[in-house]
Amino acid sequence: MFIDIDCHQIKKYNQNAFGDYFVSKRYPDEERLVAVLSDGLGSGIKANILSCMTATMLLRFVEGDQIPIRKAAEIVMNSLPVCQVRKISYSTFSIIDVNDDGIAKIVEEGNPDFIWIKNGKIMNPQYEEIPSKTHKNRCMKSYKINLELGDRLIFCSDGITQCGLGNPKLKLGLRREGLIKFVLSRLEQDPDISSSELSDFIIKQARNIETDKNPKDDMSALVLYCREPRKSLVFTGPPFMQNKDSEYAQLFADFKGKKAIAGGTTANLISRELNIPITMDKTISVGKLPACSYMEGVDLVTEGILTLTQTLEYLENGKWDIDNAAGKLVEFLLDSDCIYFMVGAKLNQAHYNPTLPIEIEIRKNIIKKMKSILQDKYYKKVSMQYM
Amino acid sequence: MAKINVKVCLGTTCFVMGSANLQELIELVPRKYGDKVEVSGSPCLGLCSIDWEFSKAPYVKVDDEVIKEATVEKVLAAIDKKLK
Repeated sequence: MFIDIDCHQIKKYNQNAFGDYFVSKRYPDEERLVAVLSDGLGSGIKANILSCMTATMLLRFVEGDQIPIRKAAEIVMNSLPVCQVRKISYSTFSIIDVNDDGIAKIVEEGNPDFIWIKNGKIMNPQYEEIPSKTHKNRCMKSYKINLELGDRLIFCSDGITQCGLGNPKLKLGLRREGLIKFVLSRLEQDPDISSSELSDFIIKQARNIETDKNPKDDMSALVLYCREPRKSLVFTGPPFMQNKDSEYAQLFADFKGKKAIAGGTTANLISRELNIPITMDKTISVGKLPACSYMEGVDLVTEGILTLTQTLEYLENGKWDIDNAAGKLVEFLLDSDCIYFMVGAKLNQAHYNPTLPIEIEIRKNIIKKMKSILQDKYYKKVSMQYM
Repeated sequence: MAKINVKVCLGTTCFVMGSANLQELIELVPRKYGDKVEVSGSPCLGLCSIDWEFSKAPYVKVDDEVIKEATVEKVLAAIDKKLK
């Protein structure tokens, strides 16, 4: 099972920093994901600092099982200072620790209760209340639930549930009920909607409810969706031992999922071993990169290092040009949940000729960087194998 | 008469060494020779890795003839020679 996760946020009107903070990390070896959403008191820079500290500290505590999630949350709840202005604790939090079997531990303090949707119905999970020993007005809720394929969890900051407050139609704001209503109706229209699209939809709807579309508070919508993973394979570089070519080409052929080849020699190798002809576009270059080629049964065939280097840059910047090969590779990667890289270790010495006008990176290094950015920034599950 | 096949290498080495500038051939060749000559890219002709010490990329193949340090002029000259 794959947990598709994403969070969209907007800032409070007239502020230049987000007052809510979202942080998430996937631990592929432990098949586990931890995410935290925190809402700092007030808004702007102050709230940003408060929520950022709370969220990152909670994540640090919980990762590597240093402290169990409940204990970590309790420590944070008890030690959060009191805001001097409002005399209440200075940030709220929701933390979720979920593994690939769907066993989820959730602790919330101060945020609106999360929403659990199973088969289009809202679930009402049992929870344990843990009051703070040091602060009377603080109490956290601890849940342990079992998620199944198709289940969704929605966490949000109170900017969402209170949006539209004072509006003639919504005197008490959207509230949790209002949010549930429009999320369920969206899911009815689009049952397989991704977490990214759903969280973006929630944010936009909430903003539209606000008078003049100006958010009166920071808004965050964090969505988790349990689904079958979309798997893809990127085969790049020829194997170190040439006598292994056919073996690896067969692995490529047998892979169930989307497939991409990055590398001219690599494409020739697969074409030769699997007897699939290559066809080219009637063009040489698109946007400073070599044009893509085509092979039956392969979703994308690009040149190697230059395209990979550009792809990495696009992933880092979060912006890409869809027309060129690297833009296509970015879309290919982002449309996947689990990405396998098969990386050939053979070097082409011509690439290291000092008279080359540009410096060519070593393939392994580019893929390593790509792996971390896909994991950390795009929450993908990535594994790589050298060959 | 059989068509002349021109293949421009789009492998990494050739591309950075100048095959990116051979785009012109794609428009020029059909205009000049009609359907007697066909130009296309190739993912990699595999020549730089054999010949790396004396790397003469970019490479273009006009049928079986390898053109080293290819330019539009060199490729057109090779086509003209074949057509004679």
